Amino acid sequence: MSVYRSKTEGTNRFHDDLYGNDYACQPEENACDTKDNQYAPAYYDNSFSPNFGEASVVQTADEFSYMEQESAEVIWVKESCNINVNSTDTQIGASLQAALQLAISIVIRLSIADSGDEEAVEQELMQTISASQVNKQKIFIYNTKDATVTTTDTDISVNIQLLLQILIALVIMIDIL
Amino acid sequence: MSESSKDPMMSNKVVEVMVDSIFRKNGIKPEEVKNNLSEKQREMLKEMVTDLKAQVEEFQEKKNESKAE
Repeated sequence: MSVYRSKTEGTNRFHDDLYGNDYACQPEENACDTKDNQYAPAYYDNSFSPNFGEASVVQTADEFSYMEQESAEVIWVKESCNINVNSTDTQIGASLQAALQLAISIVIRLSIADSGDEEAVEQELMQTISASQVNKQKIFIYNTKDATVTTTDTDISVNIQLLLQILIALVIMIDIL
Repeated sequence: MSESSKDPMMSNKVVEVMVDSIFRKNGIKPEEVKNNLSEKQREMLKEMVTDLKAQVEEFQEKKNESKAE
C-alpha cells in the first residue's frame, strides 16, 4: 500500500512515466499477482493493463467524455388476462434526457461559436454527470389476472434533474434567462 | 431516492460554480459570450429552456404521483 500511495502523488506523470504508474496501481488492483508481474515488461504489452481501472485518478487532457446509457425492458406476459402494462414514463424520461443534452450543446454552440473551446466546454459539462448506466428490467407475469404494471427508471430522473440544472445555470450565466 | 423536483439533489449553487469554473478554465468570458447572440436567438433559447423546464417538472411530478399510489 505504501508503494501505491507514494506513486500516485505524481499522477500527472501518466504519460512520460507510464510504466511507473502501472506499478503504482497494481497492488490495489490485483494484489496477489503483483510480485509475479512487477518485473515482467511483456505484461504491459497487453493493452488492458490494470492501469485502466484507475482512470479517474490519472485523467489527463486527452481523456474523453463518455456517457453511455442503456435501458432495456423485457416484459413477459404468459397465460394471463387483463394485464395492463405502462412503461411510457421510462420512455419519456429517455427522450427528455436526450432533449436536455441537445439543448446544452445548442446553447454552447451558439454562444461560444468562435473558437475551438466549445467542444472542450461541452465535454467538461457532460463529464460531470457522466455516468455509465445500464438498466435492465425484466418483468415476468405468469398465470395472472387483472394486474397493472408500471415501470419507472429512477436513475434517469436523477440525470434529467442534473441536466436541467446545468442548462439553467448555463443560460443564466450568459444572461438569457 | 426521495428528492422531489422542488428539492434538487445537487444544489444550484454547486452547479453554478461548476459551470463558472469550466468557463474560466477555457478562457470564456460571459460578457463576451453575450455579444455572440442576436436578440432573436436569445428569445429562441429562452423559449427552449422554459419549455424543457416545464417538461421536466411535469415528468418529475408524474413520477412522484405514481410512486405515491
